[in-house]
This record gives sequence, structure tokens and C-alpha cells, in this order.
Amino acid sequence: MIEENNRLDPKLVEEFLKFGKNMIEAPKLVPALDEINLEVTEHEVAYTEDKVRLLHYKPRTSTQIKTPLIIAYALINRYHILDIHPQKSWVRNLLDQGIDVYMVDWGTPTNMDKYLDLDDYVNGYLDNCVDFVRDESEVDNVSLQGYCTGGTIGTVYTSLHPEKVKNFVATAPVIDGWRDTTVVSNLAKHIDVDKMVDSIGNMPPEFMYYCFSILKPFEQGIEKYTNFFRNIENESYVDNFLRVEKWLGDTPPIPGELFKQWIRDIYQDNLLIQDKMYVGGKHISLKNITMPIFTQVAIGDHLVSPECSMPLHYAVGSEDKTLRVYPTGHVGMIASSLSQKKVLPELGQWLKEHSELR
Amino acid sequence: MSSKPQALTSVGPMRNFSTNAKKIATELLDASEDLAEFNKRLTEYYQQLADTWANAQKKVNAKIPKIPNDQEQFDSYKRIWIDMFDNDFTELFDSHKFGENYGKLVASELELSKHWEQMVNVMLQSANLPNKKEIDEVYKELHALRKRISKLESQTKESKIRSKEK
Repeated sequence: MIEENNRLDPKLVEEFLKFGKNMIEAPKLVPALDEINLEVTEHEVAYTEDKVRLLHYKPRTSTQIKTPLIIAYALINRYHILDIHPQKSWVRNLLDQGIDVYMVDWGTPTNMDKYLDLDDYVNGYLDNCVDFVRDESEVDNVSLQGYCTGGTIGTVYTSLHPEKVKNFVATAPVIDGWRDTTVVSNLAKHIDVDKMVDSIGNMPPEFMYYCFSILKPFEQGIEKYTNFFRNIENESYVDNFLRVEKWLGDTPPIPGELFKQWIRDIYQDNLLIQDKMYVGGKHISLKNITMPIFTQVAIGDHLVSPECSMPLHYAVGSEDKTLRVYPTGHVGMIASSLSQKKVLPELGQWLKEHSELR
Repeated sequence: MSSKPQALTSVGPMRNFSTNAKKIATELLDASEDLAEFNKRLTEYYQQLADTWANAQKKVNAKIPKIPNDQEQFDSYKRIWIDMFDNDFTELFDSHKFGENYGKLVASELELSKHWEQMVNVMLQSANLPNKKEIDEVYKELHALRKRISKLESQTKESKIRSKEK
């Protein structure tokens, strides 16, 4: 005989059974990840170099501001998160505000690319993309946005080529590695990066997946999937979920030399914020960044903590600088309803005020 | 002096086989030391996870001693369980002791992969194929060539612009 207080509520049993049924039926109800196309907004490939592509998005308004915006995406995962869903697309929102948007897709490095370093990315690929856009748009300088590690690449670029950057937007940039309080930085500080790169060459995606797996492991590993199976009949929820899931599961390797320099100079020796970093033999001084700068930070960012990003705002030489702190996370800042309602309108307005108009 | 079997392999192509077998045996012996270090670090890694799990579960049990038996109770139990486990595990992953052991675990794994690489190199060499070091040299040379071409291209572009301006 089951005691009264140990008896299970029939609704709870029903919920468990429904959950089990949803799990079994999931393969029939949801598309496979490779059936999902992450290319949302229409674009053309404007420039290519080695494996790097520069995408140019088709305008969505009749008039556009003259100064184009180049987005330097991060080295981890791919640029699709900035255009993941029509209703949550960073790119589409900016196009709708009349901004001419280009995106750097760093491509998929292979073993042959293991000697590519920060100099190649900054003074090679990114500089060539910027020159291409300056030529094509007939402007002297462009607006540059860098997201996450792309924010660091953008910062280094802007310091070395300030004459080519009219405005700089740093979105969750990795700047002050010693102040970073995330678990990722703890691992980065303790790995023997020279040994790692010498042994395995490019940083394999598996290492990145391990880093992701220890970020809120139970929320991400249990709650996220529980909610997915509970909402399996909600088409829009499933579509959103699968898009992000596909994006999360697709990270390219990072060229070995680039990874080595990145971990050592930013996380281990923290050279950038101390004005001691050199790229391609040239000194990177944040005081060279004198153009208008807009820094975006998320208070709940567990990949790049706000303490790691915010020092950029205080270290640059610019007098026209804006810092915005948003109540969201690393991905929430760029692909959520908050980003559509708050983050992007503020950025679009700032870009319009600081750009050349047609 | 060599024993008879060694003497037999000391001439002609078989001499290589003997040398290679010795190199592979040495690598295997050296790898066993690194394997011990790897096992030590891996045990510590799982110990840290197990201890954190046990502590987090104790905290959950202290907060909610009753087994949930309806939907509302179950949802709040799950929320508390996830929050406490996430907090405790994040604290572990943020700690110096975890970072230090993780770093050493990865380093020992890399040492093991280095031994494997050395053994593969011996075999590649015996088959007259390029080894990792030689392939790396090719990659390095390619990288340098790509840089030179890119520099030459931009110099050509600049001189074309200058001659147009004249």
C-alpha cells in the first residue's frame, strides 16, 4: 500500500508519459539539422581570398547611408548567428535601418593554414576586405564592427589602420584577459598552448565543444533539451531551437599560430590592455583608436565577461565614446528579441549619427 | 657483439626494420611513464567532478527533503537542482585547482599523442613517405609564399595607381 504523501499526482505521470512520447516522435516531427538553411538574408560574395569570403547583403531600403559597415565575426562558430532567423537577424535589422552591411566569413581553415597568425588576419584578410569595400563604396573609411574574438581582431586592426575606420563598434570584445571571470578564461590561462599547437596544429572544434559544455552544463545540457521536447509541436520554437543548435554544433578549427598568439597575448600575458602587444612587428596601442567608438557589453555574458570587455571603453584615445551594458547574455545581445528592440535600434541610430549620408 | 638474429637483420633493407623496431619499442616504454601521469590527472579530474556532484546533491537534499509528487513541486525541484548544480560546477570550473589539473591533463594527453606521432613517423619513414615534420615544413613554406605573393600583388597594385596618377 502506497502511503498518501508518496502517491504521485496523475498529472505528473501524464506529463512524464507525454514527454516520453515527444522524445520518441521527435525524429518524425523535426527536420534533420542538414535540412536547415542558415543563410537567411540575401547576399552575394563580393570578395574572396584563400578561404575567407566577404559577403555583401542586398539592401532592403531605397536609401542607404553612405558609410558601409563591415562586420568581423568571431573565430569561434560561424557568422550565421548574426543572421540566424528573419525575426532575430542582426544583419536584416541594420539593412532595414538603411545601413549597407558587409560580413567577413573567415571560412574553414585546414592543416595547410596552421601558420596563419594574427598578422595574416588583421593586416592581410581584414585589411584587404576593408580596402575592397572602400574601393567599391567610394569612401575613404568604413564603419567596422567586431563581435567576440572578432572584437579583438577589430580592435587590433583599428589601432593599426585608424585612417581606414570611421567608426568602431566593439560587441562583447575580448580585451582584458586577466579580468575575464569566465570558465573559458580559467582553462585558457592553464593550458600549455605552445605544446598544444606544436602537437595538434590547428585548434580542433572538439576543444571548443568541451569549453561550451562546461558553460552552465546543467541548464544547457538538461533544461534546454527538456524545454525542446516539451515544445516539440510548436513549429516556431522548434525552428528557432534547431537553427541555434546547428550554429552551435558547427565551429571551424582555429589556425594554430593564431590560437597560440590569441591565448598567450590576451589570456595568459594580457598584453593588449597593457599596451604591450605586437602584431606583425607593429605595436598595438589602444590610444591610436581616436575615432568614435561604441562598445556593447552584456551583463550576463558567460563567454566574455563584462569586466573583460569594458576596459576597452576606458583605454581608447577617442573622445567620442559610448558604452552600453545590456541585461542579457553573449548570444542574447545579438540574436534575441531584446537585440531587435533595444540593442540594434541604439546601434543603428549611433551609426547614422556618425556616418556619411548620401 | 650482435646476437645471431640481430646480425641477420643488420644487412640490407632488414637493417632498417631492426632500427625501426627499436625506436618504436623505446617510444612505447617512454609512453608508459606519460600514461601513468595521464591516468593520475584523469582520476583527479573525475574525482573533482564526483566530489562536486555529491556536495551539490547534499545541498539540494537539505533544501528539499521531500520527494516531489506533483507537477508544481517537480518543476521547482528541477529548478533548484539545476541552479545548485550549475552554481557548484561553475565554481569548480572557475577554480585554480580545476584549471591547474585540466592543464596538466591536457599536457599529458599531448605527450602521449607525441609518442604516437613519433611511432607513426618511424613507420612513414620506413615506407618512404613524408613525416609530420616534413609536411609542416611544406605548410610553413606555403605560408611564406602566400605572404610573398600577397605583398607583391599589393606592390604591383600600388605602382599601377602611381603610374596612372602620373
